Amino acid sequence: MFEKIKLENLPKENILTFGEFYKGKLHNSSLEILSPLKNIAKSLNKKLILVCLIDSFKNIKNLKEIKKSLADEVWFVINSELKDFKDDLYTEVLTQIIKSSQPYGFFFPATKIGMSLAPRIAGALKVGLCAHVNYLEVKDNQIVMSRPTYGENIIAKLVSKSSPVMATISLGVFNIKYGKEEPLMKEIIFPENFSWSSKLKIRNFIPSKKKPTKLSTAKIVVSGGRGLKNKETFQKLFELAEILGAEVGATRPVCYEGWVEEERMIGVSGVTVKPKVYIGFGISGALQHTVGMENSEFIVAINIDKEAPLVKMANLALIGDARKILELLLKRLKS
Amino acid sequence: MEKIIVCIKGVPKPGSIKVDPETHTLKRESMELILNPNDRPALELSARLKETYDAEVIVISMGPPNVVPLLKYAYASGADQMILLSDRAFAGSDTLATSYVLAKAIKKLSPFSLVLMGLKSIDGETAQVPPETAALLGIPSLTNVKNILKEKNKWIVIRENEYGEEEVEVEAPLIVSVSPVAFDYIRPPSLKRLIEVKNKEPLIWTASDLNLDPQKLGLSGSPTQVVEVYERKIEMKGNILEGEPQELVEKLIEVLKEKTLIKH
Amino acid sequence: MIQYPFNEEQKILVNLIKQIGEEYIKPYALEWDEKEIYDEKPIKALADADLFGIIIPREYEGLGWGSFEMCLAVEKLSYYCAGVSTTYAASFLGSYPIILFGNKEQKEKYLPDIAKGKKLCAFALTEPQAGSDAFAIKTSAKKKGDFYILNGMKQWITNGGIADIYIIIAITDPAKGARGASAFIVEKNDPGFSIGKKEKKLGLRASVTTELFFNDCRIPKDRLLAREGMGFIVALRTLDFARCGAGAQALGIAQAAMEISLKHATSRIQFGQPIYNFQAVSHTFADMAIKIEAGRALVYNVAKFIDSGAKEISGASSMAKCFATDIAMWITERAIQMMGGFGYMRDYPVQKYFRDAKCLQIYEGTNEIQRNIIARELLKYYK
Repeated sequence: MFEKIKLENLPKENILTFGEFYKGKLHNSSLEILSPLKNIAKSLNKKLILVCLIDSFKNIKNLKEIKKSLADEVWFVINSELKDFKDDLYTEVLTQIIKSSQPYGFFFPATKIGMSLAPRIAGALKVGLCAHVNYLEVKDNQIVMSRPTYGENIIAKLVSKSSPVMATISLGVFNIKYGKEEPLMKEIIFPENFSWSSKLKIRNFIPSKKKPTKLSTAKIVVSGGRGLKNKETFQKLFELAEILGAEVGATRPVCYEGWVEEERMIGVSGVTVKPKVYIGFGISGALQHTVGMENSEFIVAINIDKEAPLVKMANLALIGDARKILELLLKRLKS
Repeated sequence: MEKIIVCIKGVPKPGSIKVDPETHTLKRESMELILNPNDRPALELSARLKETYDAEVIVISMGPPNVVPLLKYAYASGADQMILLSDRAFAGSDTLATSYVLAKAIKKLSPFSLVLMGLKSIDGETAQVPPETAALLGIPSLTNVKNILKEKNKWIVIRENEYGEEEVEVEAPLIVSVSPVAFDYIRPPSLKRLIEVKNKEPLIWTASDLNLDPQKLGLSGSPTQVVEVYERKIEMKGNILEGEPQELVEKLIEVLKEKTLIKH
Repeated sequence: MIQYPFNEEQKILVNLIKQIGEEYIKPYALEWDEKEIYDEKPIKALADADLFGIIIPREYEGLGWGSFEMCLAVEKLSYYCAGVSTTYAASFLGSYPIILFGNKEQKEKYLPDIAKGKKLCAFALTEPQAGSDAFAIKTSAKKKGDFYILNGMKQWITNGGIADIYIIIAITDPAKGARGASAFIVEKNDPGFSIGKKEKKLGLRASVTTELFFNDCRIPKDRLLAREGMGFIVALRTLDFARCGAGAQALGIAQAAMEISLKHATSRIQFGQPIYNFQAVSHTFADMAIKIEAGRALVYNVAKFIDSGAKEISGASSMAKCFATDIAMWITERAIQMMGGFGYMRDYPVQKYFRDAKCLQIYEGTNEIQRNIIARELLKYYK
C-alpha cells in the first residue's frame, strides 16, 4: 500500500505537524495550519510532514482531502489502541517520533485535543511551547511566532530557544489550500517492545447535544458586546441572524456573563471568523476580540464611543446606542 | 484521607497590566492581582470532592507576596492548607519554567491523589501548565474536565472535547484542569473561615526550599522568549456616521441591501 | 454620609455580603422580579457562606452574634434585592422561636442544620380571618396520645414550600382566649401538611409566599415549643426580635433607590444643566439622605439595645420597623419621581424598589399595629 518505515530510520530535520482525527475524519484545523507551515517549510528548505495517529487506515473518511493537502509527506502510526485520544499514549508515540526524527519544528492545531497534547510533549521533552499563534514568519533562519497577549492591545513576537520549535496554532485563522502534488504516504513501524498501554481507559462517550456552531465558516456574522447592556437584548441578535442568514458571535466578557454560550466567543481563545460582512453591536474592540475578526471583508461597528478601536477599524461605523439601533433595525426589517 | 492539591494563580486586574519594557514579561509585583477567574471552578471541585470523599485540600500558588490574599480566599472557600511558592528567581518564567517549579512543589507534597488547576489563566491564556507539569512528573493529565467521581480506587473523570463528553477511568495520581463552565453554581467563601484565616499565614517555599536548579528558573529557564512587543495601531478606515438612531438604521439597511444581504 | 465604626468581624461580614450581592444577585435581580422566579442559587450562596448562622448560638454551630450583625447582613443584602433578603430574613423569623423557647433537644435537633443553611425556616401566624387581629386564629391543635393533630390553614406565609421547618401558632384550648394558643414545629414532610398556591405579589417577587394547609396533620408531641398556652408569647416575643430586621431591609432598599436616582439626576441634562441643579430636585435628595441616616441611626441603636440584653424591647423594635419602612416608602416614591419617565420603566430597578418597599409597611405587623404597640408602651413610661 505504502512505504513502511521503521521508527529508528525516520528522516531528520523536517517540519512536522499533528493530524487530529475524530471518527476517521481528519479535523479541518489540521489542514488549515498546513498553509502557513508550508511557507515556513519552504523558507527553511525543509519538508512539511503531517503525522497521523489512527486505529485503522480503512476507517479514514476524508482521504481525498489528505491527498490534496499541502503536506509533502504523511506519516501514519496505526494501532488499535490509538482509536481514542489518550493523552499519555499519544504523547509517548509523538515523543518517540520527535526523538528519532529530530524535527526542526512540531506544530498542533489549537483544538482542545491539541492544547492537551502539545504541552505534555513539551513538558516531556523540556522544550518551549507557544500557544495560540496566529502568524508565523522566518527571520534570520529562525521561526518567529506572533500572538496577541496579556489581554490588551499588545502583540508579542516569540522565538523558541529550544528544539524542536513547538506551537499550537489558532483555529480559523488560515484557509485550507491545496497542493500541486499528492503527498508521499508512509507508515511508521514501532519496535516490537513498544508499550501501547495507557493509564487512561475511555469508558463512555456522549456526543455533544449542541450542534457545533458554524461560526468559523460563516459568511455573515452579527456580534454583540457589553454595549448591548443585558442578556435579553443580546439574544435579539439571533433574530437578526435569522433574517440575514448570519451566525451570532460574542465578546469574551458577555460569554463569561452567561449571555450566550462560550462556543460563540470570537477572539484569541475562541473562534476566528472571516466573513464577508461583520456587524459588531456595542463592541469596543479589545485586541482579544479583534484578532478574531479583523480579516472580515467589510466591518460595521455600532458603538456609542467614537474612539473605540472597533470603530476605528470599521469600514462603516454608526455612533449611537447599540441597543436602540438593534431594536430599531429589527423593527424595520420585520415590517 | 485523599490529598488534593489545587494550584491557583494571581492575574492582573483587567486594565492594570504593566509590562516590563526590557523582558516583555508582566511586572506582577506591582500590579493589583485578582484570583484567576478560571481557578474558581477548580476550587469548587476540590470543595465538592472534600465533602464527598473526605479529602484534605492544599492550595498552592507561585507568585510574589501580593498573592497571599488569594491563598486566603482559597482557604475561606474550603482549602485546609496554604503554600506560597515565592522567589525573585521565579520572575519572568514561561510555562515550562513555571511547570518545573510547580512539579517540584507537588512532588514535595507526595503522596497525593489529584492536582486540580483552572483550564487557563486570563492573562497568558496558554492552558499549558497543567499538562506540562503532569509530563514533568510522569503522571497522566486530563484537560477540560467537568466532574470527577470515585469508583473503588479509581477516578472517573468526565472531560469535554470538541465533539462531546467522555468518561475516562484512571488511577491516581493525576493532574486535571477544570473547564470554566463545569459548574452552574460556585460557592462563595465562608464567613467562619474568613475570620479564621485572618490569623493564619501561608507556608512559604523558596527556590532553595525546593532544591531548584537556577538554570531552569525565570528567564533562563524559559525556552520561549518574547523578542518584540508592539501595540496594535488602529487606523481610520471608513465612514463614521453620527445622528439619530432612525437615520443610522436607514443607512445600515442601505448598506445591507448593497451587499445583497436583504432584499429590496 | 455618617460612617459607623465596625469591628474586624463586622467588616468581613459586610464585605462578604457585598461580594455575594455583586456575584449572585445583582446580575439577575431584575429578571427574577420580572418573571417572578425564586432562584435557590443566592440562598445556597448565603448558606455556604455561613450567613444563616449569624444569630444561632455558637454551641449549635452558629456564629453567636446578635441583632446588630443580623441587621447589617439584611440591610446590605436588601441593597441588591429585597426579595432575596426577605427569604433570608424570614428564615431568621422562623429560627427565633427555637432559639428563644426551644428546649435542649429541640435546639440540638434543628439549630445546627439551620446554622449551616441546610434547612430554611418559616413562621406562620396569619390566617384569612386573622391578620392584624392575630388573636382571631382558628387553626387548632388537639392532643391525642403522643401526638398533636393540627387542622386549619395559614395565609401569606413567606418561604412556604421552600422551608423545611415551619413554626405554627395554633389554638390548643379555645376556652382560654389569648392564653389558649401554642407554638409548634412542623416539618415539611409531616403527614397531613401541604402547601397551597404560590401568591402573585406586587413586589418581593423573588421570594415565595404561599398558603399552608393542615388536614389532620399529625406531629409528635415533642414538637411543642415551651408549654401549651404560650403560643402568643412565643409569637410576639419572636416578632420583637425580628422587627428591626424588617427595618434593616427598608434601609437597604432606600439606599439603593437614593443612589440610582441621584446618579441619574446628576447626569440627566434638561434646560442645559443637570436636573440636580434645580432645588426641587436637590432638596428632595437632601431629605432622602436625612431620612436614611435617621432610619439607620434608629435601627442600629435599637439592634444594639436588644443585644445589650434589655427586657422591654417591643416599643423600641416597633419604632425601628415603623420609621424605617415608612421612610423607605417615601424615598422610593420620590426616587421614581426624580427619575421621571425612566423611573416608570421596568428596564430600570427603581420601580422595583418602590414595589418591594410597600410590603415592608404591611408585613411583620402593619405600621398601624406598630403604632398601637408604641402607644401602649408609651403608657408604661408616661402615665
